[in-house]
Amino acid sequence: MKPADKRAYDRDYAQAKKTGKPFFPYAIFKDTVIATLTVLGIIILAIVVRVEVGEPVNPATTDFVPRPEWYFYFAFELLKIFKNQDVFTPLIMATFMVPNILIILLVVWPFIDRGPERRIWKRPFALGLTVIVTGMLCYLTWMGANSPAGVAKGGLPVSGLDEEATKGMGVYLANGCGSCHMVAGVGAPGPGPDLTNEGTKGWDNAKMIAWFKAPKPPMPSYASLPPAELEALATFITGLGTTYK
Amino acid sequence: MTTKDIGPKGTVQKSAEGALDFVDERSGVKTGARWFLFRNIPAGTSWFQTLGFTAMVVFGMQAITGIILAMYYVPDTSGGAYASIQRITEEVTWGWMVRGMHKWGASVMIIVVFLHMARVFIWGSYKYPRELTWVTGAVLLMFTLFMGLTGYLLVWDQKAYWATVVAVNIFASAPIVGPYIGDILRAGPEFGPSTLSRFYSIHMLVIPAGIAAFIGLHLYFIMRLGISEPPWAKRRLRIERDEEDARRRAAREQAAALPGTVTYPAGAPTGAGGDDR
Repeated sequence: MKPADKRAYDRDYAQAKKTGKPFFPYAIFKDTVIATLTVLGIIILAIVVRVEVGEPVNPATTDFVPRPEWYFYFAFELLKIFKNQDVFTPLIMATFMVPNILIILLVVWPFIDRGPERRIWKRPFALGLTVIVTGMLCYLTWMGANSPAGVAKGGLPVSGLDEEATKGMGVYLANGCGSCHMVAGVGAPGPGPDLTNEGTKGWDNAKMIAWFKAPKPPMPSYASLPPAELEALATFITGLGTTYK
Repeated sequence: MTTKDIGPKGTVQKSAEGALDFVDERSGVKTGARWFLFRNIPAGTSWFQTLGFTAMVVFGMQAITGIILAMYYVPDTSGGAYASIQRITEEVTWGWMVRGMHKWGASVMIIVVFLHMARVFIWGSYKYPRELTWVTGAVLLMFTLFMGLTGYLLVWDQKAYWATVVAVNIFASAPIVGPYIGDILRAGPEFGPSTLSRFYSIHMLVIPAGIAAFIGLHLYFIMRLGISEPPWAKRRLRIERDEEDARRRAAREQAAALPGTVTYPAGAPTGAGGDDR
């Protein structure tokens, strides 16, 4: 904004104040009405939709659907979009790039858009941004709210399993791997990648077990599983799409 | 001489006025309150401009319900945290209500803060001279989201635990500083008893102090700079109409002065500006 525009604004605002109304009671009245209604709404929600106590924490069994509160669904859905390890949709986009770009843009926005115009229909870029960002947030939140739980408890449509691999599939099912991964169309479509053809990567068991113990975030570590279970799980995963189809 | 002071003042009234004068002489509270309450705001101030105050009230409610919850909550990972949540929900008088209000208050606060931000954005209220008011508001939005994240773990149930493990992993995956942030949040390399204490402390001491400080700054800016006028306040629309009329008149006069040529007015109307940037 040019100094002349600033002075023009200052003069205009001084005029608006001069012909204005006192803060009390005009603004205070409106504030009080809306704030009271909001607090009443919260009390009604607290009475109608009672809080519940969930299952107690058990770090050993991971039979769960890792879902955040609704206001982080958009971030959760971003993880699903950028779950792949390829160049176009790398995970770092969802975990680092997109959130930080949004945060920086949010903070510095008044220093980007410095023109004197305030009417939204004369600020097409700002209007577009409002519509796109709000739309994206609503869409991602809605997607998160309706994402299938898909824990794949009933088993996986995979054949050719030997004894060790059957045990591994048991470990896979018991630890809720299916709430983040999909095998042959069964399980959740994210945040983890589809494991149907994981075996074609050619990893050996040792490499796979090292991954289970220290995986790439956001996947949690499974170092607490017994070595025999890790071994069986690694056998199962490294054979997916090659030995077990 | 005013006519309302008829008859002698009572002892109570006299001593009360004396006490207030004593405080006012030293603190200026009377003058301050008078300035605060009766300063003018633009006449067009709208119902949409109540969302900031509402967010502040909901924060106050969160503080009060949070203090009550803290009286019963035990940040103990070996069953104590879960048991205390169960006790608050099922045994403590009105406990389910206080916890319910705190939980719903968190959701409502995020919605109100977002709507407040949308209002400020759409109205262009962040423009000169209120740029720093926006920046402090953006920090408050971040604090609010972080409040939601740290509070979620405290109920210590399966869903909360694993969602927070994933969230902390995401922070820890950031390049360079990520591992340090992860260690700070977890209070070590692993999720454990110290993690819960740390989240409890961040949730009820660190962020609330930050929110209080930034609300103070935010309010200071608002009081210093005044409430912004809606871009479509009656007064503004009248000014814009007058400017439009003046421009048309000028164009007509120009056309009349130079017969045979059609000219269009150049440049933007004064005051309102014509450029988006």
